Amino acid sequence: MKKKLIATLLTAAMATTLLAGCGSAAEQPAAETTAAEPAAETEAAAETTAETAAADADAAESYEECTLTMDWWGGDSRHEATIAAIEAFEAKYPGITIEYNYGAWSDWETAKASEYLSGTNADIQQTNFDWIRKYDADGTTYLDLNTVADTLDLTQYSESTLSLPVDVNGGLAGVPVSLTGRTFYWNKATYEAAGLSTPTTMEELMAAGPIFKEKLGDNYYPLVATEYDRAILMAFYLQAQTGEPIIDQNGNFTLTEEQVKEGLEWITSLEENHVIPTIEYYDGEGAEAIDKSARWINGEYAGCHTWDSSPKSLVSALPNPDDFVVGNELMDTGEFGSGSYAKVSLMFSISAKCEHPHEAALFLNFILNDEEGAALMATERGVPESAAAYAICEAAGAINPIIAEAHKSVMDSNPMYWNPLFDDSSLKGDTSVYNTLFENLSYGVRDGSYSVEDAAYDLYTAYTAIAPAK
Amino acid sequence: MSKTQKFFRDNIGFFFVIPWLAGFLIFKAYPFLSSFYYSFTDYDLFKGITKYTFENYINVFTNQQERTALIITFKYAFMTVPLKLVAALFIAYILNFKIKGVNFFRTAYYIPSILGGSVAIAVLWRALFNDEGLVHMIFGIFGIEGPHFFTDTTWALFMICLLRVWQFGSAMVIFLAALKGVPVDLYEAAAIDGAGKWRQFFTITVPLITPVIFYNLITQLVQAFQEFNGPFIITKGGPRGSTTLMSLLVYNNAFGGTYKMGKASAQAWVLFIILMIFTAISFWSQKHWVYYADDEGR
Repeated sequence: MKKKLIATLLTAAMATTLLAGCGSAAEQPAAETTAAEPAAETEAAAETTAETAAADADAAESYEECTLTMDWWGGDSRHEATIAAIEAFEAKYPGITIEYNYGAWSDWETAKASEYLSGTNADIQQTNFDWIRKYDADGTTYLDLNTVADTLDLTQYSESTLSLPVDVNGGLAGVPVSLTGRTFYWNKATYEAAGLSTPTTMEELMAAGPIFKEKLGDNYYPLVATEYDRAILMAFYLQAQTGEPIIDQNGNFTLTEEQVKEGLEWITSLEENHVIPTIEYYDGEGAEAIDKSARWINGEYAGCHTWDSSPKSLVSALPNPDDFVVGNELMDTGEFGSGSYAKVSLMFSISAKCEHPHEAALFLNFILNDEEGAALMATERGVPESAAAYAICEAAGAINPIIAEAHKSVMDSNPMYWNPLFDDSSLKGDTSVYNTLFENLSYGVRDGSYSVEDAAYDLYTAYTAIAPAK
Repeated sequence: MSKTQKFFRDNIGFFFVIPWLAGFLIFKAYPFLSSFYYSFTDYDLFKGITKYTFENYINVFTNQQERTALIITFKYAFMTVPLKLVAALFIAYILNFKIKGVNFFRTAYYIPSILGGSVAIAVLWRALFNDEGLVHMIFGIFGIEGPHFFTDTTWALFMICLLRVWQFGSAMVIFLAALKGVPVDLYEAAAIDGAGKWRQFFTITVPLITPVIFYNLITQLVQAFQEFNGPFIITKGGPRGSTTLMSLLVYNNAFGGTYKMGKASAQAWVLFIILMIFTAISFWSQKHWVYYADDEGR
């Protein structure tokens, strides 16, 4: 009995040693190096691709066999593209295994928050811009990507883009995959049914409300806006009046309570003019999102205001996708144009605790800048910010024309700076200020239980609690 | 037999209990006690504790949002529990008669409870009663504009209550078992004395099943104060916070993006204390209305 026990223990010890050996840093040459294949059609694309490949080849001269973990959120098409890119990377770099985990956005951040707290976050993560402030407050959660710049080609990104995701220590906490902003999308068939063309100015949009009501009925609206949409529309409106971000780069709130009140009055006027439905009417349908709304699908909601990276689901929801058109930013919103902003849509970060940062950077470089990897990732995370990836996607015709048009609409509008404090958890979330306040306002101005003045006071207080008044 | 073997033989039962005990201590006792400690702090999951305070408890009764949630929780419990008990007892009473296809009806009425606290049933409820749902379609056939069940503040809480009341199956089964235990000769004697069905029900049936009514009352009360799924999935606590029950508020504070664990712990403890008080009152009151046949009666 004792002998059996000792034998078992010895066998277990041997197995452990062997496994440890597998995972150890036994450096070996890469089985394959990236060859510079000038496959891109355009000269610029060829140039950037060749540079990327050269950098890739240098950096990938040696790597350790290891297992890296990765996670991301998104929809099915993003999952498929990312898994395909992982498989291509594993084929190109035998010995490196990527163990991945993915899911929908719903409750994703809550799960990640607990992982950050327990230190069990993945080696490579798709991250949000505001996570730097929330989960990397001391700059020790994410690796400073400048430390792996010999492997991860950061020259593909503009300086202004790389200046955004910076932690308190000045480190590069993530590499921005794309920039995003909001623009309008219209259902032209509904507008035509109302005898209108899709609006190109705020004045036309405001005029469309009564016409929709008269010609199509009470249940037809030129635009639909959820509570968070209203917060953004209001920010656009006020930024268009003042010419500066509502929360500036120093983290200061730039508006007065009176200006907040003006913004809320404008939002209320949209409801009163039948431009947008009330919150009661919108929520009454119980749709999870606009693209899931039967009213959007059958054309009763003839417009929405959302990110330039996410029109695909809105298009595919319509019976006739040709009815879907990308609108331009409404430049007459105020004295300073549309008041739009652009922000980092999402990033990839490497955990500061990652034991194989070089290999993690190798992987990021593959999916962000490499010809094969970037082509597989395509525009699943928006129009790529990497010059190499953009050239590759453009040459391959992988940039969805609708996304490209929407992105152009945003970027052409001279978008302003966006401070992540705008999405602070006290403001954005199911039961946070934006939702409760715009819901209360929509109900309250009709039954007299909550006035614009009340809302202005509450919103101003909420903003200045996280961003002191300028 | 060696001393060690004897020790193991005599205490083998404890070893079998260890896994449960470990689970209880780690997953129940520790969180329970630590939440009490945290309830006196401003514990934030990411920022830690910066001060010790009673504010969390004071806020439950002074902060408007928290006080409203507390009131709504009471409203929910006091609507749901009596309605559910009455519905369960009524249906159980009917199903206790020898009627054709009684087994089918018993199964049919029990099915909603099997689906119980599932997310799917809440999603179904939302799909049925939203403004584009089946119920509104039926109203539409008759040219009636139905109420906005989930977005009208006067309807929303009632609809969430109705979802729970509809799931009366488990209480019904327990009532049914109790009704089967009422001696038939009592009814026969009462009938001979000229008592009608209602009189028999209130003077024979109800007194004899009071221990089961009491049991169902306690379990339903506990469930009602802990209700979460319905408002979380169907209304997210809206419209205008009219379905934000205390349990939902606890969740929102703890995991809704702000991670205010200290505040959430205090709210959970207030809920726990309220439940304790109601349970204690119920136990105290049973000597006045619960009939136990195996002792001296009341």
